[in-house]
Amino acid sequence: MTDATTPTPLPTPDASAGAARGGTLTKIGLALLGIGVVLCAIAFFDEDSRTRFGFGYMIGFTFVWAIVLGSLFFVALQHATSSVWSVVLRRVAEMLASPMLLIGLMFVPMLFVAILHPDSTIFPWRNPTTEMAKHAVHVKGTYLSESGFMIRMALFFAIWIFFTWFFVRGSLKQDAGAGPGVAARMKKWSGPFIILFGFTATFASFDWLMSLEPNWFSTIYGVYVFGGITLSGLAAITLAVVGLKRSGHIAPELIRGDHLYSLGGLLFAFTCFWGYIAFSQFMLIWYANMPEETIYFTKRLSNGWGPVTVALAFVRFVIPFFFLLSRHAKMNERKLAQISVFILLGQLLDLYWLVMPNYFGADGPGLGYQEFGPVLLFGGAVLVAIARFMRRNEMVASKDPAFEASRQFHLH
Amino acid sequence: MHDQDRKVVGMIGLFDEPNALIAAAEKVRDAGYTKWDCHTPYPLHGLDDAMGLKPSPMPYITLTAGLIGGCLGMYMMYWMSAVDYPVRIGGKPYFSWPAFVPITFEAFVLFAGLATMGGMIKLTKLGRWASPLHDNDVMVEVTTTRLGVVLEAEDPKFTQEAAQALLDETGCQDIRVLYAPEDEASEDEASEDDDAATEHGEV
Repeated sequence: MTDATTPTPLPTPDASAGAARGGTLTKIGLALLGIGVVLCAIAFFDEDSRTRFGFGYMIGFTFVWAIVLGSLFFVALQHATSSVWSVVLRRVAEMLASPMLLIGLMFVPMLFVAILHPDSTIFPWRNPTTEMAKHAVHVKGTYLSESGFMIRMALFFAIWIFFTWFFVRGSLKQDAGAGPGVAARMKKWSGPFIILFGFTATFASFDWLMSLEPNWFSTIYGVYVFGGITLSGLAAITLAVVGLKRSGHIAPELIRGDHLYSLGGLLFAFTCFWGYIAFSQFMLIWYANMPEETIYFTKRLSNGWGPVTVALAFVRFVIPFFFLLSRHAKMNERKLAQISVFILLGQLLDLYWLVMPNYFGADGPGLGYQEFGPVLLFGGAVLVAIARFMRRNEMVASKDPAFEASRQFHLH
Repeated sequence: MHDQDRKVVGMIGLFDEPNALIAAAEKVRDAGYTKWDCHTPYPLHGLDDAMGLKPSPMPYITLTAGLIGGCLGMYMMYWMSAVDYPVRIGGKPYFSWPAFVPITFEAFVLFAGLATMGGMIKLTKLGRWASPLHDNDVMVEVTTTRLGVVLEAEDPKFTQEAAQALLDETGCQDIRVLYAPEDEASEDEASEDDDAATEHGEV
């Protein structure tokens, strides 16, 4: 019988544990990185597949970006709401948010190719060859300009990297024995960051994904991508929490059914959120039936893309919805880990669905090493960065003022 | 009227410590009682397990009703728009399912919500406006400061001696016998009279 009135002593962290942590993860990360580098090099130096590689690059990049930014958003959200339940696992989210600088570096090659070499760009507005693209540049040129794009990228990454540093560093300072002022400061700045996050994530989604089709527009697009960001962050956090618990790097008694249920509940909530937003976007465009809007779905429902769209609805909404519906699934760490992997694969499919019709179009969907390469490369790099974080830092924020309350968190 | 003359409806053991109540509930559960309950002035974590309560069937009722409601909502829209009064809107097919999804969803929520309310009332046996257990002074105590475990006389295992022994075994210091309200006897007679009157009426 566990009860709030009889706390069990916290196992003392093993000082030498840090060196042993993350060894396997580093190996896996390096292996993926190696395969990814080879595939990317083949794709890049093959003249025929260079453009396709650019689109694949966008999938891989936005995939890891969504995980890292989603984790940062999760951390800020927990500070903003002064959540108690999440304190025992907040370090895991901080760990996943920590490679933000690396994400910034990953974008540099894209910036070079897309902006400085218009011939091989994936953005039609940079190199308008068709009348449609020329019209888009004519109408939206103030926003879709080289300088505007670069200024926004610099601003977005500056905000994200600064706040990653702010939140992760603050939490690590607590480990070293900083006073309660740190927690208060993080809470104070979490609100402003969430507002900035809303704007930057929305405009980044316009710049990176929506501007692949510069004539098309949807005001809900940023919210759609936000759903993907939050789901990827939550799924990655859940997977990492279960993994670290199973491998003993987080004391198993710290993460109980009550904490897992909260994570599972959030996964379920944002699965519904995504379904709601995705269907709203589709239904309004379908109903109004305006050619400049319907082109987006026409492209994704004809020439063999229809099954991909239907699969997306099932993979992103129907299957996770019914999987996570029961209380049992939300409290079972094995099931949560399974559905987290599934949700991350769903995010990849979503990004594929957003990006690749712009390359394949009427040729129908295709899948090759050009798409796998960047995902493996970036995924591997992020895993290596996370393993480095694991080696250097504790896996629980045990000096947080609310840590003890979080250990004893009970759902009612 | 003396206590000895009144009908025994159960026995209550009163505790001051939540842990003592949980330990007592575990004992009663293991003794195989079926008609018994715990009363606490606040939610007590771990009591469900200690009492051996099974998961509620409520989620299945809600889901089933919701799915039925969703199907009915979609069928209603199909019947109205494509069968009974077909009107071509915006050049779209009569059965334009995307337009019907919001109503399907609303019907899902409506049916699920109403079934949840109805099911909750049924499962928690709400609507019994009075219970002999609740007409005791002891109810004032377990809704303010103390915690109690009640063994009902209707339980097949219940005898006053056995219940007393079981509660003694839990270490309970304050065991009281619960009697039916004083006027129950006259109520019983009155209801018998009602039954008789009805029978006459039917004849």
